[in-house]
Amino acid sequence: MLIRRLNDDSIEFADIEPVEAELLRQVSVIGEAHGDAGAEARLFSAPAAPSETQFLKDWEEYVRPELRHLFLAARKVVEEDVSTLSAKAGRFSRMVFPLSHGEAWLSALNQARLILAAKFDFADAELALHEVPKTLTKRGLVLLQINFYAAIQERVIEALQGEDDGYDAVDVG
Amino acid sequence: MDQPGACAGMAETLAESKTETRLDTPWNVVVHNDPVNLMSYVTMVFQKVFGYSREKAQTHMLEVHYRGRSIVWSGVRERAEFYVQQLHGYLLLATLEKPE
Repeated sequence: MLIRRLNDDSIEFADIEPVEAELLRQVSVIGEAHGDAGAEARLFSAPAAPSETQFLKDWEEYVRPELRHLFLAARKVVEEDVSTLSAKAGRFSRMVFPLSHGEAWLSALNQARLILAAKFDFADAELALHEVPKTLTKRGLVLLQINFYAAIQERVIEALQGEDDGYDAVDVG
Repeated sequence: MDQPGACAGMAETLAESKTETRLDTPWNVVVHNDPVNLMSYVTMVFQKVFGYSREKAQTHMLEVHYRGRSIVWSGVRERAEFYVQQLHGYLLLATLEKPE
């Protein structure tokens, strides 16, 4: 899969293989289907010490719903962008979305990575290893998925910061 | 005769002064390390939220990475609360803390 910035106003994902397309479709789904206490705790972490009772109460009442809405909105943007991918098996797909969707992509990818890491309880050392697991267990595949999303995040950040000149596409997988 | 009143007034002034000092005490916005958020992402967030140069943002990011936490901003409480909220919107582990 190649990711590059197109002109000044869009980002292109090209040569997307079917398995990569499926992983892209899962980005928004993972965020919607978490329902996991650990993942929830990570997405909505405590903003202060327990002694800040009033602040924490206000946060729960006013800020947390806003954050939930913000995260959902980002996933919706990604879901719509991904819906343009070809569903035909065996074909490379391509999608182009506005540069302004870049932050939503970063948020949705981050949500997915944080949720997967919390659900599968990965240790810091495991997450720091960017190696292909020796045995492809479910856990190993999830780690690959987390790293795949990280690689996309890196490319999207570069595209947002204008580090890609629009000609040198970067291969992430 | 007016001494007690004067003393009371002074006590009130002192009390107000203490309250002002407490309110003026800068609060810290602290970002904590987590193994999932990318270094480039954290740098970008610091630039966006605080308007820091890339160099300053990277310095804070590296402090988070190697020391586990970094005080990324200090100042009035209301502003600190706002920044913590912004950072949570970017899914960083951020807390509001009283200076020690």
